[in-house]
Amino acid sequence: MTARGTPSRFLQSVLHNGVGRYVCQLKRISLIFSKKGQGSLGVRDFIEEGVVDFAKNNSGTVVYISPQSCRIPKIVAEYLNGNVKEETVTNKTSQEIAELITKLSNQSGLDIIRIRKPFHTDSPSIQGQWHPFTNRPLSIDPVGPQAK
Amino acid sequence: MAACRALVSRAVLPLHYHHVCRGVMLTHIREKKRWMKAYTLIMERKRKMEGPPPPKPRSQQPNFDYHAEVEAFSARLQESFSLELLKTAFVNVCYLRSEEERRRALGLDLETTTLNLKDNGELCVHGQQFTKAFLSDWCRGSFPSLPQEGVAAIVGHLTGSEVMCHVARNLAVEDLTMSAEFPVPDEILQGTFFAVIGALEQSSGSVRAGLFIRDFLVTQLIVKDLFDMWKVVDPMGLLVKELTCKGIALPEPRLIRSAGASTVLPLYFVGLYSDRKLLAQGPGETVLAAEEEAARVALRKLYGFTENRRPWDYTAPHEQLQKPSAQALTSE
Repeated sequence: MTARGTPSRFLQSVLHNGVGRYVCQLKRISLIFSKKGQGSLGVRDFIEEGVVDFAKNNSGTVVYISPQSCRIPKIVAEYLNGNVKEETVTNKTSQEIAELITKLSNQSGLDIIRIRKPFHTDSPSIQGQWHPFTNRPLSIDPVGPQAK
Repeated sequence: MAACRALVSRAVLPLHYHHVCRGVMLTHIREKKRWMKAYTLIMERKRKMEGPPPPKPRSQQPNFDYHAEVEAFSARLQESFSLELLKTAFVNVCYLRSEEERRRALGLDLETTTLNLKDNGELCVHGQQFTKAFLSDWCRGSFPSLPQEGVAAIVGHLTGSEVMCHVARNLAVEDLTMSAEFPVPDEILQGTFFAVIGALEQSSGSVRAGLFIRDFLVTQLIVKDLFDMWKVVDPMGLLVKELTCKGIALPEPRLIRSAGASTVLPLYFVGLYSDRKLLAQGPGETVLAAEEEAARVALRKLYGFTENRRPWDYTAPHEQLQKPSAQALTSE
């Protein structure tokens, strides 16, 4: 749809992350898959090979593995700001799931919507924001065109 | 339908018939279900009548292991907490009371089932004192000319329940808090966060706890203006007091610029001159408002709390407040 019809936000970080120390924003990741279904094959392979390394490298994230009888395997990622993101991983390979999980762990939990400006600053002006009275000579008389 | 009613009145349903409620009879068939639409509409009506379900704490939802979560909390913040202190920090008095009442209501024998949990009262008090002391020292160190009321106002704002609860919720402290009610009330959450800081100080020492407070509470000052946190009723009087203490001449307000005096949005700039040199100028809709704003701008300049001041350096470990130690502290 148009930019006005879809939600948008400004570039921001949760709790000024990175100014002090960097805190990984992913707090919990749950792998929901089926033990026998063919859509969960990639998830099962990932659990055999890659999940333990991921958990060791990201010690701030809790990894939950829950085999259930489900038709579609899911990855549920919960972030520190409370957002929950669910991705279905039916028929994905183990490599793709690994990339998806690294992508989820690098995101902050903020919504993936249009970002209005790709920059943000907390101190937009050093010498003072310009206004029409800057650099004009002082006078009590009402404002008029300056004599050159 | 007549056959169904005959079946119901006999009070014995054959195998594939299932009585859901007064208007809906489920039949287990392979094709398109005739009962599905009525059933869905009844469930929708029920949901609309009851409203949304009450929020459940994360610990009561599936996939939650308390010990793992506490370890991950400690690892995520790059701090090494002692786990028993941290677990004690999350237990509140109201939780202990409600647990004991629940056990008594269930009829369990009190001697065999006493809770072995200590509550976080001491840690909370300890953490609160440490946080307030650290923040006051930090404020006085980075804004040396700010008076005592200003320091108290800034520290009060940072340790007030709004800022503390905002930080606590975004650090996942609310998930781990054990309290009687859910959603956790603000005072209890604030107390739990103080207790976590107290636990950190007792586990890793005051330097690490100071760095933690700097990284999470001092950053909340980033876009704030001084007079949002410190309510000053008479800025001109305060400015006069400050200047007399410093021995500088008293400020004289002069109208510098005016525009649109007869319109609905007039603009006046008033400058404050002490000894014929400009201290500060401020805009306003009336001359009095402009004078007050000019006094506020002058106070911000005096205290060094302007918008374009040099930002606090978060990379260096804070040696300004502690004696610089011989061992190299790793920078955060």
